[in-house]
Amino acid sequence: MSTLQEVAGGALRVQNVERTFALKDDVVRALDKVSLEVPVGSFISLIGPSGCGKSTLLRLLAGLESPDGGSLLIGDKTPNEMRTAGRLGVAFQDPALMPWRSVWKNITLPLQVMGKPVKEFQTAIEELISLVGLQGFEQALPSQLSGGMRQRVAIARALVTEPEVLLLDEPFGALDEILRRTMNLELQRIWSARRPTTILVTHSIEEAIFLADKVAVMSARPGRIVEIVDIPFERPRDPEIIRSSEFHKLADHLSELLFAGGGH
Amino acid sequence: MKNFSRFARGTGVVLIVLAIWEILGRLELVGQGALPAPTQILAQFWKDRSDYPPHLSVTLKSAGTGFVIGNIIAIIAGAIAARFRIAETLLRGVGMSLFAVPLIAIVPVLLLAFSGTTPRIILAAMAVYFPTYIATMNGMRNVDERLVDVVMVAGGSTTDVLRWIRVRSALPHIVSAFRVAAPAALLGTLLAEFGGGTRWGLGTYLLGSLGQANPSRLWSIGLVATAVAASAYMLFAFIGARLSRSSMSATVQTSMPIGEASGPWWKRLGGGVVSAGVVLGLWALVLSILDMSPVVAKSPLAIVKYLTTDPRAAESRSRLFDAYSETLPLALIGLLCGLAAALLLAVILSLRPTLGRAVLPFALVSQTMPLPALTPLIVLVFGRSILATVVVCVSVTFFPSFVTISQALATTSPAAIDVVRVSGGGRLKTLRFVGLPGAVPAMVTAARLAAPRALLGVMIAEYLATGNGLGNLLNESRGRLDYGMIWTVATTSVLVAVLITQLFGLAEKLTRK
Repeated sequence: MSTLQEVAGGALRVQNVERTFALKDDVVRALDKVSLEVPVGSFISLIGPSGCGKSTLLRLLAGLESPDGGSLLIGDKTPNEMRTAGRLGVAFQDPALMPWRSVWKNITLPLQVMGKPVKEFQTAIEELISLVGLQGFEQALPSQLSGGMRQRVAIARALVTEPEVLLLDEPFGALDEILRRTMNLELQRIWSARRPTTILVTHSIEEAIFLADKVAVMSARPGRIVEIVDIPFERPRDPEIIRSSEFHKLADHLSELLFAGGGH
Repeated sequence: MKNFSRFARGTGVVLIVLAIWEILGRLELVGQGALPAPTQILAQFWKDRSDYPPHLSVTLKSAGTGFVIGNIIAIIAGAIAARFRIAETLLRGVGMSLFAVPLIAIVPVLLLAFSGTTPRIILAAMAVYFPTYIATMNGMRNVDERLVDVVMVAGGSTTDVLRWIRVRSALPHIVSAFRVAAPAALLGTLLAEFGGGTRWGLGTYLLGSLGQANPSRLWSIGLVATAVAASAYMLFAFIGARLSRSSMSATVQTSMPIGEASGPWWKRLGGGVVSAGVVLGLWALVLSILDMSPVVAKSPLAIVKYLTTDPRAAESRSRLFDAYSETLPLALIGLLCGLAAALLLAVILSLRPTLGRAVLPFALVSQTMPLPALTPLIVLVFGRSILATVVVCVSVTFFPSFVTISQALATTSPAAIDVVRVSGGGRLKTLRFVGLPGAVPAMVTAARLAAPRALLGVMIAEYLATGNGLGNLLNESRGRLDYGMIWTVATTSVLVAVLITQLFGLAEKLTRK
């Protein structure tokens, strides 16, 4: 099934993870025995209908919540150990920038939280800002930026600690289709420069295929992984591939899985 | 250009009003000279100019000290309540009491316990506590959860979240509470100065000038106090605007949310009982720390005895009852008149915006004028009558109610308005079918927020001028050294005020359903 089997220490292993939420008079199985393996330096997309638990899985990997069963390991560390060591990066659909901080200061936030001297990272931050294409906007406040630019700030912030694992929860979900395609190209470029192990949660089949080495398809109620699909395109990928018949075949296959598994 | 013409029109309105005022004053058309002309007031101010610095500096020092102390306590309490739900429950009684209490009822008690300017500082601190406490708690609690996640994923702890997010998020809320708290501190100080303590202070000066038949001096003192309150307000409005240039919309928040209890009824009841217990406990604690003679200082139990088993209990009860039956109806009438006036202006403003805009600046000035300074002026104009009391009451309840109601009128859904319009209805019909029904809950909210102010307004008028009701009972009891009654009035007025706000709160819940 997988062609990227590596035995590197930092691979991400999710085994039989369970997570349930108690509602008023019901118990929702957000995740039901979910297993997933992501080799070091690879990019995996999680796709599925609303309520399939993909965001929950991401929050578990970020160490923001704990599973009710099963285990999550990144190398030999738990997500919480990775989190407190500052080795994770995260970006959400909402850029979640501090409105009172400039672009520069929003990006330095994780360093400050980790208690690292920001001055030593001066050049690294400058490089990062040019990587995400925000030169000249260092002192701008979030309210002065467009939606796409805010999202770039959020991604730069996720990368500033040089994380080993990058967790993206629909980072472009609030952008329009045209901007989204541009941002996907940008993300591919940024990711290729650093190559952190990346998990992208998305609603968009096109985005999932274009960016990932593998796409994990989830179904809802209970949240399960239905199938993991390999994406064979060479990198760097040209936007042209979206129009190729191979891309269409993959997209058709994914939508079949989605509508069979999660389409109530 | 548009701004300029608006500015010119505004200046024009002010000049016209000043001119009318000048004519009314020069011809002594209002209350036989009770309303002096602006130029006469100015002349009096110039004559008295050497009186002001010592009085003003004492007042500012007390109000400033009380402001700082009250806010420090409120911020610490708010931060703890934001972190621990149990602390919020425990502190609810203290907050509600301080929100509702007619501060003047506390003055005699403070004068018994402390000397010099201490009562003024304490009353100022009590006056600022509630707005800052609520702003701190809500500001720290309601932060962007995604930001919290970002800090947590970067390896942060809850302390990091507090340091990097909660404090900064709460800051604009706290500063905007300072805008309300600063004039409140002045109000508290002036009220306590009425009770005595030292010979200096703007309130003392005002009280001393009451019997001098010199309306110009009273007006001059009142306007100086207004200027102080307005500049304090504007200072914090300015700081707030700089702070929040991008981080939040700078809407004026007049309807202060009061921490609502939640959960099943037995839990709320239990929380209420416990938080009332905290208030009583604090009371007992303060008394034991001060180590006052039990003749002067009354514990909660002593007050119960005073009203039940004491040989003169029946007489005390009937005096208390008489006082309440004079004060409460007046406060209610004043509150209703204030609400009616507010509704009227809000409706006029929504139908004829330009007309309303001309009236608004004067409503605003009346709002910044500290109540203790405003009351003598109203009494001057309307005489020592029931009418004066009601006018005092209207003037303090009118403006906040107006803001609450016109906000509700302005936020009626555009779609609902369109439905009426499409059916051929004009502005009046829209108001009748959409605006007014939507404004009913806002009226009740306004009543809840204004009720404590109404009670305070009536009591100040009674204390200074009319010689009726609770305000007078306070005065009398001080004269007779009737310590039991002083404490009883203070305690029962807190209870009654809290009860009234709770009743309005209940009505609010029913109308919002």
